[in-house]
Amino acid sequence: MNTINNNFIPDLSVDIAGMHLKNPIMTASGTFGYGEEFKDVVDLNLLGAIIVKGLSLAPAPGNKPPRIVETACGMLNAIGLENVGIEAFVRDKLPFLKKLSTPMVANIYGKTIDEYVGLAARIDDVDGISAIEVNISCPNVKAGGVAFGVDPRSVYQVVSAVRKASQKPLIIKLSPNVSDIATIAQRAEEGGADALSLINTITGMAIDIHTRKPKLANITGGLSGPAIKPIALRMVWQAVNAVKIPVIGIGGIVSAEDALEFFIAGASAVQIGTANFMNPSATIEILEGLTRYLKSNNMATLRNLYGTLVL
Amino acid sequence: MIQSDADILWNRKLGPMYFHLGLSLRGFEQAVPGQFITLRAQRQQSPLLRRPFSIHRLIQADNRVQGIEILYRTAGDCTRYLSTLAPGEKVNILGPLGNGFSLPDSGRIFLVAGGIGVAPMVFLAETLRQKSHPSEITIFLGGRTQTDLLCQKAFLDLGLRLELSTDDGSTGHQGLVTDLLKKHLTETKAHGIYACGPMPMLAAVAGLARSHAVPCQVSIETIMACGMGVCLGCALDDQVITDKYRHVCIDGPVFDAATLKFDN
Repeated sequence: MNTINNNFIPDLSVDIAGMHLKNPIMTASGTFGYGEEFKDVVDLNLLGAIIVKGLSLAPAPGNKPPRIVETACGMLNAIGLENVGIEAFVRDKLPFLKKLSTPMVANIYGKTIDEYVGLAARIDDVDGISAIEVNISCPNVKAGGVAFGVDPRSVYQVVSAVRKASQKPLIIKLSPNVSDIATIAQRAEEGGADALSLINTITGMAIDIHTRKPKLANITGGLSGPAIKPIALRMVWQAVNAVKIPVIGIGGIVSAEDALEFFIAGASAVQIGTANFMNPSATIEILEGLTRYLKSNNMATLRNLYGTLVL
Repeated sequence: MIQSDADILWNRKLGPMYFHLGLSLRGFEQAVPGQFITLRAQRQQSPLLRRPFSIHRLIQADNRVQGIEILYRTAGDCTRYLSTLAPGEKVNILGPLGNGFSLPDSGRIFLVAGGIGVAPMVFLAETLRQKSHPSEITIFLGGRTQTDLLCQKAFLDLGLRLELSTDDGSTGHQGLVTDLLKKHLTETKAHGIYACGPMPMLAAVAGLARSHAVPCQVSIETIMACGMGVCLGCALDDQVITDKYRHVCIDGPVFDAATLKFDN
């Protein structure tokens, strides 16, 4: 007979990038707004961390529509990092987030190293921002973003420049659109990253066969959702083996089982992205699923599962 | 805004491609005409995203809102799957979402619907009917053929005036629904126009409203992923609207027609 010991509460907590998290469930930037949007359907205090929409120095209008298209088990987006800008974020969005017990991570992106440095310096002494996630991997912004993320030298340059500008923990968000993720991960670590997060979306494309036009105005976009999970898992595993700092897994996680695969591969936390669109309560349901898994396997702490891939 | 599983009360076929769905659901007391919900029925991962639907009607009993009704057309994998579900099965609902129609204090009202664009108009007509005399409300229904003209009985039961048009002339005026609207605007002073339907129809309605100086609101449909203002995928650009990058889910789906661009 299978007996489940319900007399203990499994420990899901994890220390990562200088933050103590109640659990390893984070929200992926760009899929959770500025947090407040979800307050009616998610108890935000239950989350491990909230990562907000990517912020730039000036407000950004984003790309022309159509910006999204659904594909098999996934979606392509080319939003173009539309956001309110760092000043409006600090003034209008941060006060709500500061009231939560959940740490908040500001995701930043620039078109030049100076812009990244400017953003990091601007929020370095701002209370309520527990860490900075540096997006060097967005595929949808021209003349920046991805250009930094695909070249190991520029990865080192941008990370070390941001490192000098900020005392806050730095999470570097990596692009999957590279041939050697291990080298990129190592350059980010050498530049001073406290943690890595990957993967961002995979550059993709869809065509309307009747008009023969791209389905996205931007022509190409970033593929996300369950379709990319095997690629994400492979790259997280490669990054874990290449660096000593913690790795945060992202890519197509819609269930606790998906998240568990990333932990076994060595991820210290995960981010939930497109699943928030499919099911706004996905983060909480995944959290509940993790607790059930630990209880049914009589495991006291989730950390004991990290990096236990059997080869 | 709530997210909840809802029991299907009924899922009736209304014609070749149209279905009427009744859902048992709490949390919609504050819903207003023009707002929408997103629905996910499938358990599998493709189709991936929720689908947006206008609130067609509220289900009321014992002075409480007990659920909502959805009117839908089978257009893709999601709605085809939805059409196979039976009473007692569940779907997941997020809503109410977006901004509804602003209602007038008094005066003659024209409602204009093209095809499945009639979906939000029954809730709107029922709400208007609480303040306005039925003779002051006219509903213009347009479609390709007579089976595309839905909800006629609901409007007649409310005592509204009904004007019908079809592309093939199988019912009512043969031609565009905006032909009828133009004729009535010329003959009668209207105080408000509310429209939902395909973009070319909305552009034509917006043009007529402007030339007759009648306030007009239109409900716009786009592809969207989240429905709640976080993915920013449902942006309208300056080919559609004067003030570019408005988001249908949180800035709409109802927009003042004065902000719409139109050709005629």
